[in-house]
Amino acid sequence: MRREVAIISYAQTPYEPDANASREMQVLRVAKAALAAAGLKQEDRYTVVTANNDYCDGRTISNMRLVEPAAAWMKNESKAEMDGAYAALYGLLRILSGDHDIALIIGESQASVYARWLPGIMMMDPTFDRQRWLLNEVSAAALQARAYMNAFGVSEEQVAGVAAKNLDNAALNPLAGNKLAGADAAKVLGSRKLYEPISEMMVAQYCDGACAMVIAAGELAEKAEKPVWIRGVGFAHDSYLTERSLEEMGSLKLAAEKAYAMAGISDPASQVDLAEVHENFAHEELMAYEALGFCGRGEGGAFFDSGATRRDGKLPVNTSGGAIGANVACATGLARIIEAAMQIRGEAGDHQVAKAKTAVATGQTGPCAQESVVFVLGGE
Amino acid sequence: MAHVDVAIVGVGYSKHVSKRRDVNIAELVWEAVSNCYEDAGLKPKDIDAVVTGNMPAFEGVNIPELWGAGHWGAYHKPLIRITTGGTTGGSVVHGAYYAVASGLYDTVLAIAFEKQSDGNSTMGLNTVALADAAAQFQQGVDPGFLAAFGGGAVGIAVYQAASYMKRSGCTTHHLDKVSALCRNNAALNPWSHLKQPGLTPEDVAKTVLMQYPIRFGHVCPATDGACAMIVTTGEKALKLQNKPAYILSCASCSDEAALMGISGSGTTNMDPCAQEHCKLAAKWAYELAGIKDPRREIDVAEPYAPFAHQMLMFYERLLLCDEGEAPAILDSGSMNLDGELPVCPSGGVISTNAIGASAMERVTEVALQIMGKAGDRQVKKEVHKGVAHGWGGAVNLNVVAVLSDTPRRS
Amino acid sequence: MAEMEYKKETRSVEGSWPMEHWSWKFESIALIAKAREAFKEKKLLGLKCPGCGLVYFPPKPYCRCTGEPDEWVEVKQQGTITTYTFTGAWAYEGIKEEEGPAGEPMIICGVNFDGSDTLTVCILEEAKPEEVFVGMRVQLKWPEKIEGRLDDIAHAVPLKE
Repeated sequence: MRREVAIISYAQTPYEPDANASREMQVLRVAKAALAAAGLKQEDRYTVVTANNDYCDGRTISNMRLVEPAAAWMKNESKAEMDGAYAALYGLLRILSGDHDIALIIGESQASVYARWLPGIMMMDPTFDRQRWLLNEVSAAALQARAYMNAFGVSEEQVAGVAAKNLDNAALNPLAGNKLAGADAAKVLGSRKLYEPISEMMVAQYCDGACAMVIAAGELAEKAEKPVWIRGVGFAHDSYLTERSLEEMGSLKLAAEKAYAMAGISDPASQVDLAEVHENFAHEELMAYEALGFCGRGEGGAFFDSGATRRDGKLPVNTSGGAIGANVACATGLARIIEAAMQIRGEAGDHQVAKAKTAVATGQTGPCAQESVVFVLGGE
Repeated sequence: MAHVDVAIVGVGYSKHVSKRRDVNIAELVWEAVSNCYEDAGLKPKDIDAVVTGNMPAFEGVNIPELWGAGHWGAYHKPLIRITTGGTTGGSVVHGAYYAVASGLYDTVLAIAFEKQSDGNSTMGLNTVALADAAAQFQQGVDPGFLAAFGGGAVGIAVYQAASYMKRSGCTTHHLDKVSALCRNNAALNPWSHLKQPGLTPEDVAKTVLMQYPIRFGHVCPATDGACAMIVTTGEKALKLQNKPAYILSCASCSDEAALMGISGSGTTNMDPCAQEHCKLAAKWAYELAGIKDPRREIDVAEPYAPFAHQMLMFYERLLLCDEGEAPAILDSGSMNLDGELPVCPSGGVISTNAIGASAMERVTEVALQIMGKAGDRQVKKEVHKGVAHGWGGAVNLNVVAVLSDTPRRS
Repeated sequence: MAEMEYKKETRSVEGSWPMEHWSWKFESIALIAKAREAFKEKKLLGLKCPGCGLVYFPPKPYCRCTGEPDEWVEVKQQGTITTYTFTGAWAYEGIKEEEGPAGEPMIICGVNFDGSDTLTVCILEEAKPEEVFVGMRVQLKWPEKIEGRLDDIAHAVPLKE
């Protein structure tokens, strides 16, 4: 990358099933907090990129009435209508161009406002799949889970184990809305079956929330106390749901390859200290281990069984609880970047891991992670 | 750190009419994209990243490129979706510009489209304010009043027009002249929607008054259409085109976009024609582009004007003249195709409005003028620099791009 | 550019976009409710931002300077028209009554009430369209029965000074 860009500050609201707050005020709270933590005032020159979705917000041009709360009044402001990690990506591109030095990135949505199944259904092919009403986010994920599990002999216990790990991790994250200290696979398997083999506790339930991050190059980054450098980034779009192999997370693999190449990582399993992965469903995390190169193809289940990805393991994944701990459409991936940055800065409190020098954070958009973005972060 | 030059090397349009019932979204966009590949002399394998956008409400599909982009050559490519209402096409251009200027992606395909006939346009426009309208009904606002306030079929641009006419001295006759100018230009543009060769201001003045002060003839159509553009580095561009059009700079600026406030609160946006943020966006864009005197240095302008008064208003807000001078400049003939600073030689948004695409089409049209490829609508004077503009939101989002036949001087 | 051949056989596929499924949350409504109560005393209450001093009427919980307005101030009941239009029978010249959204002729204007920094939308009564202009001074006209609704502040008349 032609400039050194770092994460300077961040802020998150608590993530709750119903925050009883307005979208505007949630955004205002994190925007102000992130700017203040970066030592910035509204008069300073920065660009703003928000991530929000018209179907989630129930508003056409969903970014429009967020201009004021996003501290973007009279600013150079734009949007990515995808997961929040894409807003971070776009902010990064703006800074790398040299036309901007500072970007405020914000992601938000409120599951308590929209019908949780609606935006996912509206993503399906309108001429065929939508007509048959068989495919929604969960049923599509179930099809992928079955394909993956059958291809590599992954068991429901292993999938449930991931969910349990994240729910238990979430108990140490004061912001996470879905937590269960001491959760185990049996508990997860005992939860209500939605679409076989997916049971309720394997799903990252959508909730309310917003998060914000300031990234910068130049003076602000150089003067920052604890900058978290963006070492590499990659993103990729895979084929539509019914036109690709569901056995692997293709878009994540492609995105990771690019991000690692940029970051100079040739052996992720040993060079990455921790990962914050956007997993809308527990089985996706197992698939992500493979796509991110932490283990070989088909070895996700075994890798999980080894304990490596537990919070005391050699490559902790989602010690924040991940999306299963708190899933906010258009913000989850951004929260993963923030959580990874917190680890690198030693600010993760009760869920801090011991070794956190190089981290990976991912975000996804589209059914079964049709699109993915990967960030590689490193401290100084 | 040297600036990475960004240049447009290919432009493609689909056919633009009011209802494309012969194609679905993916096919409509492919028309534009395939024309663009051909124009650039490139293939999908040459593309390093894709940026796409459209207004989500109009087709009733959430993130349509999920099922469509494979058809456009985006297989396994980095792809980002940017949607910002009426400015979407411009925002997509900005995204593509930054992708190349970042140094990470050399050649980027930018796509912007709208297929309004797939959905319900009125509904799609209403959902801009549905949430706030619902809140106001709940607090005791008469739905009939809110509907009347909303400007009926025209929309809230009526307030902007009334205010602009007061501030500038622009008359309804000027609005008629703007429409006539644009629709005549559109007749020279093969891909435009409303072609009306020989249309006179008197003809426009006879059209039905929709809501004061806007007549039917002053308003854009609803169009189905797609636009595609390929940008690449300055270095690569020279291998593909003799005369690429450089995007010197991009800037956007946003104001609160609510004439009636959010859920009933008062709005500080008191004068919808003030558009101070448009002036700021223009200022920033000109600064980055190294343009000190836009009035003299800009050769052609494509302001985003779905309503006639906006062509004059944005001409002023893009700093091409002082406030209030645009009507006289129109009268002087300077804005004509053979004038000193032609405006909307493409026919403008007032002749063709596939909403998601129309702000990109302002950029592509300026590019074609610079490249000398605008055919019958090529302006008479030599074109070196141009400004393209996008507007949207309820009233207050603006995007600006400055283009040139030479790269940015460092 | 390549000419695209029109396909002749197409099918349209029906679908719908369910609109009934949102329940938006607003933190402004509680504030506006307090202002609406004050209507019953024929008072206009705006909310002032501690950061920049802007007064929002009706009140709003956030300001464009990212401050959070929190000081109640009284707003005057005279103001200035900043923009306007006419609708209803007046405005639809050339459209037969049954064709267009006709209804009662109305002059709708944006009014900046003195002491506030915001626009409120009102119907201007006791005036003809040709008399209205940007900059015109108007006076709020309370309804006969004030119910504490946003409608209560939706009417104005020219100010006779």
